[in-house]
Amino acid sequence: MLEELSLHILDIGMNSLAAGAKNLEVVVIENTSRDWLIIRIRDDGRGMDAKTLSHVLGQNVTSKKSRKKPLGLGLAFLRQTSEMCGGTFHVRSTSGRGTTVTASMRLSHIDRPPMGDLNATILALCAHPGVNVRLHYRANGQTFRFSSKEGKSHEPGRTQEAQGQGATASCAA
Amino acid sequence: MNLDELKKLKDKAQRRVALREGNKKYRVVFSMGTSGIAAGAREVMASMLDELDKRGIENVEVAVTGEIGLVDAEPVIRIEEKSGEKVTYANVSPEGARKIVAEHLQKGKVVDGLAVGKIKEPEQKK
Repeated sequence: MLEELSLHILDIGMNSLAAGAKNLEVVVIENTSRDWLIIRIRDDGRGMDAKTLSHVLGQNVTSKKSRKKPLGLGLAFLRQTSEMCGGTFHVRSTSGRGTTVTASMRLSHIDRPPMGDLNATILALCAHPGVNVRLHYRANGQTFRFSSKEGKSHEPGRTQEAQGQGATASCAA
Repeated sequence: MNLDELKKLKDKAQRRVALREGNKKYRVVFSMGTSGIAAGAREVMASMLDELDKRGIENVEVAVTGEIGLVDAEPVIRIEEKSGEKVTYANVSPEGARKIVAEHLQKGKVVDGLAVGKIKEPEQKK
């Protein structure tokens, strides 16, 4: 089991990278007054068809599938965590057009894992070349946005890319 | 998690983007599938990045990959040298990662206690 929500995010995000995503967006919304925590991971990877989708959401998802496919225990783990914490779990996906995973849970639920080191998660996801990783974090009216922004497509092994394109981050109250 | 911590992300990410540029002497690949994550691969990666930073080592590219099949030996990292030599380390702890940086990535010496296999790539391949 994964002990932090940020580890779940990393796990689902790795699925997106495996699906060839060029854009990966992580949205975390905390709302104390309504007692909700919502996590959404959206990508523009190759997505899943209806058959795969029904399989991936089924009870008997195992890791015995080919490793090339974005299937495994990752989604099952997050589903278990969110349902255990009084929330819901959705996967929306269209073949060729990407996947959106949404998990919600009660913020105050006693079993809710801590968020953990979200920075380390985003940094690990940024290690994949050619993917723009964005984070949108909102907690009780405060918003934090981050983007690893890489305008041009980047191929591994090429070094001529300008180093200055770096990353951008902004914060608003 | 608070917003102040998240603000530190930007600087780190800039360094990170620089690290993933190719054509470095070493390429370090972390197995970051579900099993790797559950075994603590993210923390191992964070500690390796920290140690690379501390020592100012620039000729290392750090990358992630999905499950590689060595589930019981996670966290697993693979170090690929430009010459084609590959070394796989298993059961790497955050301290082990620092040792690998000090020995392998800085001095070019394989850390015997942690390495599980060495493969010399055939010459004609790439």
